[in-house]
Amino acid sequence: MHIPDGFLDSTWSIATYIVSVTYIGYAIKKAEITKNLERLSLLTVLAAGIFAAQMLNWPLPGGTSLHFVGGALAGILLGPLLGSLTLALVVTIQCLVFHDGGITALGANILNMAIIDVLVGYAIYKIVLKALGPSTKTRFIGGFLGGWLGITLAGITCGVEIGLSPSFPYGVYITVPVMGLWHLALGVIEGIITGMVVSYLSTKNPNVIFSER
Amino acid sequence: MKKKHWILIILLILISPLFGVVLADMVGYHEPLDVAAEKLGLKDISDEINWSPFYDYSVPGLDPITGYIVSGFIGIGIIYLIGLLIQRIAGKKR
Repeated sequence: MHIPDGFLDSTWSIATYIVSVTYIGYAIKKAEITKNLERLSLLTVLAAGIFAAQMLNWPLPGGTSLHFVGGALAGILLGPLLGSLTLALVVTIQCLVFHDGGITALGANILNMAIIDVLVGYAIYKIVLKALGPSTKTRFIGGFLGGWLGITLAGITCGVEIGLSPSFPYGVYITVPVMGLWHLALGVIEGIITGMVVSYLSTKNPNVIFSER
Repeated sequence: MKKKHWILIILLILISPLFGVVLADMVGYHEPLDVAAEKLGLKDISDEINWSPFYDYSVPGLDPITGYIVSGFIGIGIIYLIGLLIQRIAGKKR
């Protein structure tokens, strides 16, 4: 999911930077993180946890891999604004310190993982809980669907970005189905982990699910 | 947050080379988009414009496994310090 340098042309690089910087700037202003130390503390631990979890690449035969992204989980636990800031912090450190994802693609990577994944995951979780009512089972279902579809939509967005970049030889009619189907399949694991963590926390420490407060 | 959460994160970092280095070497893992680029004949220019001594979670002078673990601690250390800094700023504003 981390787009490296050389994949996006300058137009897409600049456009995705503008969208991401605007949204993250808005999130910093609206979330008022300095006024809520409890959420700030969770943001720090969650960012560290997601960073560590993303280092656990599960290599798959054939030469690729699977790792937890955590966007939907962050959105469900902290809400859409702080959830996006959590992932933006992780993705930015990965890029700037470890060159994991290109500097020219940082805007796109933040857009995919810290905005799309977080917002879609959060929205689906809220819809499921509103439709089915809050319980451990529905929280699992909401977390599962949020995690699964969040990462799938993020993958499709990634496909659009690289498919519309002239640097990439195949158009969106190839990149979107490939990225979308790949993430639809592997995203099941993301969904299961997200659902399990959310339902577990709802029984052990429900106060950390800020999006339900 | 509780100490146990940080202990869990540290454990994740300690086992991470099993997945990120050992198993990756066994199956010949590359980042999925890198594989796509190679098949398409695209040029990944990451190496040419690299600015980080910790490129791809490695540390100069250390073997890949130790470097991966140290990189993990560097990453969570930076996140912790940023969180601490914001909390200090928040504390002063109160």
